Amino acid sequence: MTPNRLLVLALIAAAALAACTDGADRAQPGAPAGAGVVNLYTARHYDSDAQIYDAFTKATGIQVRRIEAPADQLIARMKAEGPSSPADVLVIADAGSMSIAADAGLLQANRSPALEAMVPAHLRDGQDRWYAISRRARIVAYDTARVRPEEVATYEQLASPRFKGKLCVRSSDNPYNLSLMSALIERWGVGKARAWAKGVVANMARPPQGGDIDQIRAVGAGQCEIAITNSYYYLRIAASTDAADKALVSRVVLGWPNLDGRGAHINVSGAGIAAHAPNKANAERFLKFLLEAKAQGIFASATNEFPVVAGTAMPERVAKYAALPADPLPVETYGRYQAQAQRLFEEAGWR
Amino acid sequence: MNAAADIHPRASARPRHGPGLLHLAAIVAAIIALAPLVAVVVTAFGPGAASLNSETFARYALNSLALAALVAIGAGVLGAAAAWLVVMHRFPGRDLFAWALVLPLAAPAFAMAYGYADLFDVSGPIRTALRGLFGRDVPLEMRSLPGAAIVLSLAFYPYVYLTLRAALVNQSVAALEAARSLGRTAGGAFWAVTLPMARPALAAGMALAVMETLADYGASSFLGVQTLTTGVVRAWSVFGSTAEAARLALPLLGAAAVLLLIERLSRTNRTADVGPSRWRPLPTTELTGAGRWLAPLFCAKLIVLGLLLPAGWLAWRGLSVQPDTIRLLHGGLNALTLAVAAAIFTTLLAAALALGSRKNRLLARLTSLGYATPGAVMAIGLLAPAGFLWRGMAGAAGGFAVAIALLMLAYAARLMAAAVEPIDAGLERVTPSMTGAARMLGQTEAGAALRVELPMASGALVTATLLVFIDVLKELPATVILRPFGFDTLAVMADYYAKDERLADAAWPALLIVLVSIPAVIWLTRRVGASRPGAPL
Repeated sequence: MTPNRLLVLALIAAAALAACTDGADRAQPGAPAGAGVVNLYTARHYDSDAQIYDAFTKATGIQVRRIEAPADQLIARMKAEGPSSPADVLVIADAGSMSIAADAGLLQANRSPALEAMVPAHLRDGQDRWYAISRRARIVAYDTARVRPEEVATYEQLASPRFKGKLCVRSSDNPYNLSLMSALIERWGVGKARAWAKGVVANMARPPQGGDIDQIRAVGAGQCEIAITNSYYYLRIAASTDAADKALVSRVVLGWPNLDGRGAHINVSGAGIAAHAPNKANAERFLKFLLEAKAQGIFASATNEFPVVAGTAMPERVAKYAALPADPLPVETYGRYQAQAQRLFEEAGWR
Repeated sequence: MNAAADIHPRASARPRHGPGLLHLAAIVAAIIALAPLVAVVVTAFGPGAASLNSETFARYALNSLALAALVAIGAGVLGAAAAWLVVMHRFPGRDLFAWALVLPLAAPAFAMAYGYADLFDVSGPIRTALRGLFGRDVPLEMRSLPGAAIVLSLAFYPYVYLTLRAALVNQSVAALEAARSLGRTAGGAFWAVTLPMARPALAAGMALAVMETLADYGASSFLGVQTLTTGVVRAWSVFGSTAEAARLALPLLGAAAVLLLIERLSRTNRTADVGPSRWRPLPTTELTGAGRWLAPLFCAKLIVLGLLLPAGWLAWRGLSVQPDTIRLLHGGLNALTLAVAAAIFTTLLAAALALGSRKNRLLARLTSLGYATPGAVMAIGLLAPAGFLWRGMAGAAGGFAVAIALLMLAYAARLMAAAVEPIDAGLERVTPSMTGAARMLGQTEAGAALRVELPMASGALVTATLLVFIDVLKELPATVILRPFGFDTLAVMADYYAKDERLADAAWPALLIVLVSIPAVIWLTRRVGASRPGAPL
């Protein structure tokens, strides 16, 4: 076949494919029809969230159109779009980034007694611009053969010489680490927080690498004795039917460190209504739906997160931890210290 | 990318009468390619306090430098050795290896990183087995600078192989024979004649590998290497400063400019002009003894390590989950549509640029900068011009067609170099007298381009189209940030699952990218073989 003919073929194929995609797009109700749509910008990267969107559409007839991207990119896109942004709801799996979005003027206040009744005050924005929709704890997984639970009872202990060369943790610019550090700055002040970061760096078994699950597996492989991790990553392994995973969770378990006697460090996924939401009524319904029993239950059963609303039904493995003491520090403070947290990490040599 | 390169000096300036249609088209193409880069520079000089301390910055810069140097050497040695073996020798399986050696080009670097990181993880199969054997951990750590250098060298050696092979295939038999008749051995002739004459191609291939390395974020960040690109992402996502992110990108842009210059100089400084009038088959050496088996072993090792091992491991991991077939199909269809449309659009623009900017080479060179720009930086650069459109046009920000159009422009800006390079090389075969004849016979400048120059460079056009096609399939940052509602591509899906630490789920879309790219890669490499007149392929 001559190149020319190939090019013509390619053009025809392109046109055909374009037509197909266009058809697919029309099949998805893009234009507001019937109950309309809600445009969701989400930085949550959990597949199972689709269950929640489907349930919402089933309950209300409102279609959920979504764009998934990392928080910083969603924020940058919304800024670039300005008043013409199609976004109705913004969802981010980190309280720090959520506050930053709110302070950039990307969210509107949404005062709702119904929502306030469901979400405790420390889990929502003081100006009602966003609400937590799910919780997770940043805690430790430890090797039961080598560590006793009382050795990981506080965050200070993670930085103590007891664990010199025995700790695994991911890179410092991860939002979960930044929010933990922000909470420590707020609770302890800069000096103690900096010393803690230095202690953790001294305890590292290897340079930070990989994600939370990689850290838990490294404990299983004996490279470290303790790993700092989000609760749901451990619980995901615990929910697995794989034989190797079952063996792992029988040896490596979750420890629940305490921050100044108040409980473990908690981070949240937050949701708020976009400043220029074109479908505001639908956005309000969606936000409320995220806090209703159905969605709260899916957060617990499908992503192993802790519900925000009391009384939510959840699987046994999640329930076991959901009720443990949690530091009631207002989550909106995390955003305030994020940059400072990163600088302290860099000073301490936490890559 | 210099797939159809020959060794003739560039044709001198052609007759021109005022700013023709071609010239205008070239300017449009240049504007599209340069808009995001200009936006990055403007952003860099905007307000925004420095937040990274100089120590951290120096560490990032050193890591970038070390990684780029290691990959240049690694990809250079692997690619050059493979090209030299395949073109100049005969050994079992040579014809198969000739095209199969390019196959790793089909695998996105990030997918190879997933495979290697997992395979050599401390809890992975290899180190677990070794622990059982030796009773202690053997630190075969892929998540490290050397590990990343190995993975990226394996991912990018095909660039060196392709360019060098094209140069070797097209080398002058006369010069080789002259060297032999003057008493050089076959090996001596290689060092005295072949290598110096192929040096520009080697430099070009290595420059491409380094540009890809500098632009990479997915693979190196997954492998835990903190480069300047990590700094860009950190400045942006943690400190919320796009200005500082853009400032961090300036040294990367500078490095890219220097590399492009090297690549260009290496091409224009050709000293040898050996007449193409008498093409004869290249004299090849039949390998004997150990070499006869070591050569195929070396080639097979490259293909195994560059594609089969990481892809095979990913496939094995993927088997442990039930894939979401419908979603994968949609993602695949979306990726394919985008890739085909963007490949054609970018090739058309690149052709206009190559034809219309022959008096102003600098312009064409600058448009190639997007290729070496890290994705996160490009995303910053793309958002500024996109913002104008979104704010200026009612309903544009949520519109499907607008988003797709923006993506086309973004891909063109990012991948112009991949298309311009082969087209440029292809157009070098058109002598001024050919164009002159067409003009004498009454063709306009555009007419001559359409009826004489482009048909003669048609092979190069196809090469350009395929290269852009393969690159769009792997493209991530522009796709993530500009895409319309509910629009996933395979690369986006793979990244999404990898972020959620679901490697088995990420394996499916990543492997589908490989599968879709392979036919394009094979076609591409067969063209290089066919570029020597009378070649059997």
